[in-house]
Amino acid sequence: MWVSFFESEVMQSALFPALLTAAVASTVSVMIVAHRLAFLTVGVSHASMAGLGLALLLSWPLLPTATVFAILVALLLAPIRQGIHEDAGTGLLFAGSMALGILLISLADSQSVDVFGLMFGDILTVSEQDTDWFIINSICIFVIFIVAARTWWSLAFDATTLVAGGVSATPWRLLLHATVGMTVMLCIKLAGIILTTGLLVLPASCAWFWGRRLLSLWALSLTFALTGVMGGLMISYHYDWPSGACVVLGLCILFIISWGSSWLRNRKLRPRKHL
Amino acid sequence: MTTPVLSVQHVSVGSPQAPILDDISFHVDAGHFMGIVGPNGAGKSSLLATIVCMMPRFHGHVDILGSCLRRFNRRKVLKKVSFLTQMHHQQTHMPMLVHDLVALGLDDSYRPLWHRVKVEKKIDWALDKVGMLAHRHKDYRDLSGGQKQRTRLARMLVRQPKLLLLDEPAAGLDSQAKQGMYTLLRQLCDDEQLSIVMVEHDVAAISQHVDSVACLNKKIHYHAPATEEIPAHIWQDMYGSQMQVMSHDAHCMGCESEEES
Repeated sequence: MWVSFFESEVMQSALFPALLTAAVASTVSVMIVAHRLAFLTVGVSHASMAGLGLALLLSWPLLPTATVFAILVALLLAPIRQGIHEDAGTGLLFAGSMALGILLISLADSQSVDVFGLMFGDILTVSEQDTDWFIINSICIFVIFIVAARTWWSLAFDATTLVAGGVSATPWRLLLHATVGMTVMLCIKLAGIILTTGLLVLPASCAWFWGRRLLSLWALSLTFALTGVMGGLMISYHYDWPSGACVVLGLCILFIISWGSSWLRNRKLRPRKHL
Repeated sequence: MTTPVLSVQHVSVGSPQAPILDDISFHVDAGHFMGIVGPNGAGKSSLLATIVCMMPRFHGHVDILGSCLRRFNRRKVLKKVSFLTQMHHQQTHMPMLVHDLVALGLDDSYRPLWHRVKVEKKIDWALDKVGMLAHRHKDYRDLSGGQKQRTRLARMLVRQPKLLLLDEPAAGLDSQAKQGMYTLLRQLCDDEQLSIVMVEHDVAAISQHVDSVACLNKKIHYHAPATEEIPAHIWQDMYGSQMQVMSHDAHCMGCESEEES
């Protein structure tokens, strides 16, 4: 069975972008969990609907247009949160741009749009052009992460002290939001608009119980994501189940295992709450 | 005359009708430990925030080691300043080793990941100063309140500042840990010639450790060496007539056990 998995033509073209997505998502995931930006990923992924609608209506390239749009929406949230609370701001943007997206897609020639694929992911239909876009996008995200990770980490830990020391937090926050926007667009191909958050929250959440510092968390998050995505795709191939759902469910199972074994380990120690 | 470490001249924040701080002036020399007391809403935290240029706008001058602090030169001038903010700002869910938390006080901790951070000696020195060296590999979340505060203080010390600003460093600590914290700060002033400006509620608890006390309520009502007793009318100006001052000395019943220990 596994031999045919690796030999199948569909998987051969889909496996590399899927694993690349897993690597990027799990990297940014560490910062998403640290900065509590899970809802931002929900907001941005749904908001990208408007970007996709716009690209369809104007016949612009789908993924690049949607990526730029996702970045703009993620950046927009930074000034909005000065006036109202972050989660209300995210909800507002999310509903607004989703509505705009539905409108734009209905105006475009709806026959050419695979709405189901957009919603739940269609990594198995990835084109060569898409793969190039994946690689460029991933390299950008990795470089930004390597440069900014330590500052982001410190910012999530104690922003007030960082600002008191003379660092201005806003540019770093904007950069993080933009990076989340880019990552969300990468994940949509694999997990779809609805399931993207799972890919961006679950890997670091699995690692959270075990990692003790930034680098070990990153390594664990990466391991969990690659395992979950690989396992999910294999199951999806074997039983012919939807790939996005299998991948996210695979990660959920890893989370339950990680959480359960951490609970068992801590039962002897004094009770503590880490997440 | 040597340049003072911190010089605050005619600093005002807020509008003249509703001032947050009103014409504040004082200076702090090397090795001086200054305590600032005042009621809630007196502008104590705002004063510290103004000194590190975190307030959106203020009038007057803040000079640190002879350089005038402005928004554009903030990072450079504040290199020799550490500001320990209130602990309740920071309820973390993040894994963080004591050692790594102290490292955050150094600029090296903000370099890209490919840059290897080699600051072990500095970190060990700072942890040793606050008596936390034995806990260097523990998770910050597993520490007690007093240990957490000491670790945060080590983060402030690791960059070897000339000026340390503290916003209620002993809030939430029991009386023994409080006294331990003040004694430690006093030692830092004497041994390292560090200058400290500390905001606290309880004047009685700090009076035997600090060099001078300033009473702040929008403006500085009184500023004198700690050995002098603060006149009763100052208290009434600051807190209203319902205020009763309890002095802590060798005859104080409540302080007996602390004196012995």
